[in-house]
Amino acid sequence: MTSPVTDRPVAGAGAAARATDLWKVYGSGEAQVIALRGVNVELERGRFTAIMGPSGSGKSTLMHCMAGLDSATRGQLAIGDTALNGLGDAGLTRLRREKVGFIFQQFNLLPTLTAEENILLPLAIAGRKPDPQWFKTVVDTVGLGDRLGHRPNQLSGGQQQRVACARALVAQPEVIFADEPTGNLDSRSGAEILSFLRRSVTEHGQTIVMVTHDANAASYADRVIFLADGQIVDELTEPTADAVLDRIKRLDVVATGATE
Amino acid sequence: MIKASLRGLLQRKLRLSLAVFAIVLSVAFLAGSLVLSDTLNARFTALFSTINQNVSVVVQPKDPQAVDPARLTEAQLRTLSEVDGVSAVSPDVSAQGVTPFRTTDGEPVSADAALGFGVDGNDDPLGLIELREGRWPTAEGEIAITAHTAELAKVKRGEQLKVYLPVLNEPRSFTVVGVAGYSGGRDSLAGEVVVMFQQAFAQRTFYGETGRFGGASFAAEEGVGDTELKRRIEEKLPAGFKALTGQESSEEQSAQVGVLFDVFKYILIGFAVVAGIVGIFLIFNTFNIIVAQRTRELALLRALGAGWSQVAGSVLLEALVVSLVGATVGLAAGIGLAAAGEAAITSEVELPSAGLVVAPLTVILAYLLGVVVTLVAAFVPAVRASSVPPVAAMRDVVRPDKSLKALSIVGAAFALPGVGLVLLGAFADLGGTAFLILLAGAVLVFIGALLLSPLLARPIVRGLGALVGRGSAGDLGVRNAARNPRRTAVTAAAIIIGVTVIGMTATVVQSFKTSLEDIMGENIGVEVMIQASVTAAPDGRQGFNPKALEQVRAIPGVKEAAAWHFDALGVSVAGQPQAFGIFATDVGQASRMFPFDATDGQIRTLAAQELVLDDNIAETLKLKAGDRTPVVIGGVTRDYTVVGVYKATPIIQGILVGEPAVADFPGPLAFQGFVSLNDGVDAAPVVEKIETIMKDYPGVQVGDRQSYVDQATASYDFLLIAVQILLLVALVIALLGILNTLVLSIVERTRELGLVRAVGLSRGGLVWMITVESVLITVFGVFLGLALGVGLGAAFTKALMTLEFATVIAIPWLELAQYLLAAVVAGVLAAVIPARMAARLNVLDAISYE
Repeated sequence: MTSPVTDRPVAGAGAAARATDLWKVYGSGEAQVIALRGVNVELERGRFTAIMGPSGSGKSTLMHCMAGLDSATRGQLAIGDTALNGLGDAGLTRLRREKVGFIFQQFNLLPTLTAEENILLPLAIAGRKPDPQWFKTVVDTVGLGDRLGHRPNQLSGGQQQRVACARALVAQPEVIFADEPTGNLDSRSGAEILSFLRRSVTEHGQTIVMVTHDANAASYADRVIFLADGQIVDELTEPTADAVLDRIKRLDVVATGATE
Repeated sequence: MIKASLRGLLQRKLRLSLAVFAIVLSVAFLAGSLVLSDTLNARFTALFSTINQNVSVVVQPKDPQAVDPARLTEAQLRTLSEVDGVSAVSPDVSAQGVTPFRTTDGEPVSADAALGFGVDGNDDPLGLIELREGRWPTAEGEIAITAHTAELAKVKRGEQLKVYLPVLNEPRSFTVVGVAGYSGGRDSLAGEVVVMFQQAFAQRTFYGETGRFGGASFAAEEGVGDTELKRRIEEKLPAGFKALTGQESSEEQSAQVGVLFDVFKYILIGFAVVAGIVGIFLIFNTFNIIVAQRTRELALLRALGAGWSQVAGSVLLEALVVSLVGATVGLAAGIGLAAAGEAAITSEVELPSAGLVVAPLTVILAYLLGVVVTLVAAFVPAVRASSVPPVAAMRDVVRPDKSLKALSIVGAAFALPGVGLVLLGAFADLGGTAFLILLAGAVLVFIGALLLSPLLARPIVRGLGALVGRGSAGDLGVRNAARNPRRTAVTAAAIIIGVTVIGMTATVVQSFKTSLEDIMGENIGVEVMIQASVTAAPDGRQGFNPKALEQVRAIPGVKEAAAWHFDALGVSVAGQPQAFGIFATDVGQASRMFPFDATDGQIRTLAAQELVLDDNIAETLKLKAGDRTPVVIGGVTRDYTVVGVYKATPIIQGILVGEPAVADFPGPLAFQGFVSLNDGVDAAPVVEKIETIMKDYPGVQVGDRQSYVDQATASYDFLLIAVQILLLVALVIALLGILNTLVLSIVERTRELGLVRAVGLSRGGLVWMITVESVLITVFGVFLGLALGVGLGAAFTKALMTLEFATVIAIPWLELAQYLLAAVVAGVLAAVIPARMAARLNVLDAISYE
């Protein structure tokens, strides 16, 4: 075990997050499943990146590895200038406090806390004081002003997810990882959430990585990375929903052709 | 259906093993108690069967405890020996309390039984006891002793041995002329001390005249049955005697001795009851949790066509299996417990071995307890399981927490009248009935409090949480503890029960002790106490000779020395039996040592046939100064004059007569002595000198005032310790309950745990969060338990104060703080396993859905 040095400089420090020759293998022998096969990716600062791909393409695994939630079988991982490889639990905990924010598909709020307490939870855990100005900005951005005292069970699904977004934004992390953030929402609430994410990138320079299988959601991103069978197979910048759909169709044909 | 529920059972064996453990504890205590008592009984029966091995029939006084029991004359004994079928007769001349003094240090030998016999110089015709060396005593100054006695007294044949003689009430020196043992080479039957005297001497000493026998044992000729011989002997039996077969005698004797060990039996049964009650809560919680976790599975069963009764039945079947496993293990553990207890007792008391006795009744009761406790506890969860709607199989059906309103109203309906009764019992002057009212009130308050505890859980946990819930992890722990008040309350119930009992006992004991110390310190002009430790009610036949006080009075610095006599056997005043007895002393002298406050007549030295009594008894007997009333002491009825009535206090109460009345008492010995000293005299050297004087009286102890307080409260301390062990049992079960609840919470909140980890909570923070939750549940239980216990204890003490048994309510803060600390430690311990489970959770697994 190496000691958890969080500020170890690595090459390519300009990226918010970076994976080099990333392999992820589950199980062994006949039951072996290769989820990622030598993925190389850099997520630029201040940009909104979407990761797309069919089920089983490894998109969630890629995000989990890059966020430090899962370990790599092989390859280098970094967030900002911190290498993830060899970090212990304490190091990963510190990383999560200081550099990473999460938004999950299911809203994952603590039912015992009010909306405001949920938003401030990461700061409270890290023992940091919120910047009142920024807190207000975030709350205004997600439009929760009059709901701060409510508990999760008094909020709608869309409102809960807005609380989750605010929670990720308020700590101003190096990068926010969003795992299908609109997957459980109706299209209107989903669109609202996506606009907040878009605005926080455009207006505040926040870096966001989002896993999605929804072409419309991906169209809010600056860049879309397409994964199939554990490899990056394509990429698109300044996407439109139609362009994304078009690529997906082509990928499906390729994937079907490849397996048959 | 049955197959499904049994398979489910195996999958949940970890959680169920906690429920099993609760049953095991309860059943083990019950079975242990029963097996131990049966085993000891068997051992005693074996002991007395050995004694009676060649005895066909025993003749003994109908009432051996009488002041003047019947005796057989030589002629009567001869008539009985000539009954057709008698082959041998062994007449009985015996007394208890014949204690030898060790030759090395002059201290009385300590033994559970010290017996003296008169022997006629010939070998035992029944062959129980046989001479090993020397000869039987044939002269007044000679004795034979058993080998065990010789060993204890450190004496050899030919040497002198000082022996205390009851009835004569003084020690004498004898020459040991023989050493005897029992048939089969044993030195003693049960560790007893035996001294054998010349028969005529023993008769004169024990019975006051020669030619008298306490009874006799008879052997039968071949072919004559015990019952037949008993029938023949009964035809010739003198009045006042009864005949028993050897076996009947053994059973009677072992039953009498067995009573001495009943206290262990009752303590263990007490543990079983507490463990059972506490176990019900643990099992209730376990099954509730299981049902909650199985909602989808149960709904699926319902959707597939299972009726509600089948679903409820499957839960109850699971409970039944759990209870049978628990009872079986508990029975085995109980037998182990009994074996340990037996080993402990027989290391103190030598007894013939008889093997562990596991009676069928024990087995039946063990299983009955296990099954009843479990099924009662599983009933509500079973009903809850049966109400799962089939649609829950398809989607999450949120079953909202039922409002606490109904439960709280029922709780208040118990608690409020309970509080009323407690206050009535504590403050109204109702005499003895106050305690019944108080007890009823206490039970109602207790049930009410348990029902109200969910309502109280949230505010109390939050209040306590403000103290410990520092930091965000701590704060999350506090919120989790307050989250489901029903669950918190049920989990804490075991602690509430245990702590209430101990808080109450501790408060009463502390109040009693403090009261006694206050009174002793302020009002008593007594510096040294002499106290006889007696095996029976002190009636003048055990204790010390009041003449010895003359030597005490001669010690420099001694102001006064008073002897107190006591008798309760068959004592009555104004035609009413006095269970608390009559004291005899120089009342004038007593009034200089103790705070007598005359409310009627006067308190002075009493002449013959005069008495004084306290105001409570005077009221009951409707007596006042100047009245004449019949008094029965030692079987003699005389008319006494009431000279005075005094106010009852915790230290002085009862009926007192003058020293002349001692002549009517069954024996002349005093059971207590009080010594006052001149101002400025140090008590310690006086105590030492008095100890030397009292050395001749086995079992008489001398001490200063504090030692008297200690002795007076010793039995309460014993009670306290028993209750503390009980608390420990409750705490262990409670710990399991908390562990159970926390494990469930972790399973239920897996995603939340993953989330807080994902947003930056460290493993340590997670452990702290769960520990705070655990400690808060525990402390909530202790808090409520102590409030209840101390409150009820204070109420009981107040009632004791009304009856002049106590003067102050004292709260044992130090002990309470210790209980609180123990609870915190228990809470931390209970959190260890769940916290480790939570810390090991993989963050990714925790947050990923389905």
